[in-house]
Amino acid sequence: MSSSPTEQTGSLGESQELTEVVMPQMGVSVAEGTITAWRKQVGDWVERDEPILDISTDKVETEVPSPAAGRVAELIVAEGETVEVGTLLATLDTGAKPGEAHAAEANGDGSQAAEPKVPTAAATESAAPAQPTGSKAPRGTNSGNAAPVSPVVRRIADEHSVDLGAVPGTGRRGRVTKKDLLIFIESGEGTEGAQPPTSAGSSSTPAPSPGSTGASAPRALHIESPYVEEPPLTSADAAKLPGGGEMSVMRKRIAEHMVRSVQTAAHCTTVTEADMAAVERARKGGPKKLSYLAFVARATVGALRENPQLNATIEGDRITPHEEVHLGIAVSLGDAGLVVPVIRNAHELSHEGIAARIADVAERARSKRLEPGETQGGTFTITNPGPFGTLISTPIINQPQVGILDLEAVAKRPVVVTDADGNDSIAIRPMSYLCLSWDHRAIDGVRAAQFLAALRAGLEGWRG
Amino acid sequence: MPAITYLEAISDGLREEMRDDDSVFCLGEDIGAFGGAFKVTDGFYEEFGSDRVWDTPLAENAIVGTAVGAAIEGWRPVCEMQFADFIACGFDQLVNVAAKMNYRQGVSVPMVVRLPSGGGFSGGPYHSQNPEAWFMQAPGLKVVAPATAEDAKGLLASAIRDPNPVIYLEHKHLYRRIKGDVRAGRYETPLGELRVARAGTDLTVVAYGAMVHTALEATEDLDGASVEVLDLRTLCPMDTDGILKSVRKTSKVVVLHEATRSCGVGAEVCALIGEEAFEDLDGPIVRVTAPDVPIPFSPPLERAVLPQVDGVKEACRELLAY
Repeated sequence: MSSSPTEQTGSLGESQELTEVVMPQMGVSVAEGTITAWRKQVGDWVERDEPILDISTDKVETEVPSPAAGRVAELIVAEGETVEVGTLLATLDTGAKPGEAHAAEANGDGSQAAEPKVPTAAATESAAPAQPTGSKAPRGTNSGNAAPVSPVVRRIADEHSVDLGAVPGTGRRGRVTKKDLLIFIESGEGTEGAQPPTSAGSSSTPAPSPGSTGASAPRALHIESPYVEEPPLTSADAAKLPGGGEMSVMRKRIAEHMVRSVQTAAHCTTVTEADMAAVERARKGGPKKLSYLAFVARATVGALRENPQLNATIEGDRITPHEEVHLGIAVSLGDAGLVVPVIRNAHELSHEGIAARIADVAERARSKRLEPGETQGGTFTITNPGPFGTLISTPIINQPQVGILDLEAVAKRPVVVTDADGNDSIAIRPMSYLCLSWDHRAIDGVRAAQFLAALRAGLEGWRG
Repeated sequence: MPAITYLEAISDGLREEMRDDDSVFCLGEDIGAFGGAFKVTDGFYEEFGSDRVWDTPLAENAIVGTAVGAAIEGWRPVCEMQFADFIACGFDQLVNVAAKMNYRQGVSVPMVVRLPSGGGFSGGPYHSQNPEAWFMQAPGLKVVAPATAEDAKGLLASAIRDPNPVIYLEHKHLYRRIKGDVRAGRYETPLGELRVARAGTDLTVVAYGAMVHTALEATEDLDGASVEVLDLRTLCPMDTDGILKSVRKTSKVVVLHEATRSCGVGAEVCALIGEEAFEDLDGPIVRVTAPDVPIPFSPPLERAVLPQVDGVKEACRELLAY
């Protein structure tokens, strides 16, 4: 016979793709069928839709067309056997090419099919090793590798680098069940795949995995779900650190207030830059050196008088601008929290007066001697993290006010200055960013910019 | 500690709560002098008097509506529906009023509606239903379905103490068939915690109510398989962690209930597992339920409709072999 299937098996191994031939459903009520004859044998080439076998059911006798073109890789059910609809009958290697192993079939004209070959027993047997010679694992005792793999089996196999083809399956159609896989892994058979490929996978004794303790102990099974509950993030050490545990009453109130503000207001932050040289001169010129904050507060009052839309409160759909400026000053109490005492009628005060009031309320805030009403009724707030050298912040509005000004560090920066004759030069100036968070429900960006321009003008042209 | 029936445990639980808390009272059809259609409130009228054991007209809408009003006023009413099927007449009060009261107005409605439910005794289509899924679609209601005498008492106590309206399904088929050693005095079985009726490793059967017993019987000796049976106890809120924990161990699940199939408790359990434990499954999730039909009166037909031990066995075997 010129077309012995064993002649060129070496070339088969390169691209084996298996397609299943199953017992077809021949009518609604037919549950099983009998294989009356195989028209093809292992190693034979078959065209798509070419009859591959004959079956007999209690209703019909018919031929079964091949589902694909390819070479018969394995005949699973023998002639004369009766099997259920859906049972795997044969597999086709659809990656093979006609003529590779059978030159005589290269024409593929179907003339071969008309005279089914009956290979000798020896030929059939020698066809069995037609498996790719480079195949890394034997196909095992069952042929059910094409049966679906469940998610848990896939996951465990991946975690243990098990070739499922090597696992004997006891499930439906030879499916590898979770139990099959666990037994296989526990037996240690599949562990060589998990090793670095030093010995070409030929070792039959399981080597310990990197994490295993005993030299001969099998790798600890991971059969638990990956979805383990996360342990709580509290640790004994963390509980001892300051600031842990339940929030203080003040912290809770700050938290509640801040979240409510963020959820209530349409926050925007606009930033301007001011040259503080004039303020700097005034600070040094006074009887005692005042903080920048006092100057900025005084300039803010002036800018608010020009832009009363920002000296306002908003409640629901109602905006109320205020004539008087009641200026809130954020006072940090360290880790304990923050209070915002209000300097009432700040518009009636000079910057020295404001400085004195700030010093007063800050001192009393830190010693917890503020009167209950002193943190209420503000119309605008200033916060001042500047002493710590920060650059820009986006403060949260103190509800129900419309704006909050953040005063940042005054730092010497190179800036372009223009002299009276229009000549530009680079000079070292004490500069600061002034950040205004404002509520877009109440005002628009133009008003915020106008306020900041007025504030900047007040600071840069400081006249006390 | 004598073993008492499921029905006696319900009576015992209700009596303990009424003794312990004067705001607890019960109302329903023939529950007073007659002691209730199934005799759950037998002797209550004598002990607590007509102020706390109300015989009502045949008007479930009025029973539930009255209870809603009383609960809002701070009482803890326990309504009895003569059969769970009749709750349909009180549905609006329960689903649209009681369930939403806390969401709409922040008012709690601490009431319990006892529903004698389930078939298996040729009660026909109006006296055999398992309507639990109706209420699981009404956020604001809790749904409880005890399977044992111990839980019947403990869950009733928790239901009465809960600040929400609670649907309490008591399975009629269990009333006098199931006995258990029930502790004297009052105790509570927490809502939202399932019970592992039997631990196992190969397959999980999720059930509640009467079907817990069907599941236990069907899987007691199943070709040597180790089958875990979960008794959900509370259907809403459902113990999702408990279900997932079991699924992650066994990887195969049969969901069993006596109620009809579509959009039932089982569908919810299946969806939970599919969403949360897909990577742990080693086979399709299988439901064993009544088909989507009313419960027939005819005994052989009723047996064909309600899940039976043999059917559960078959489903478990199929899945074990998958």
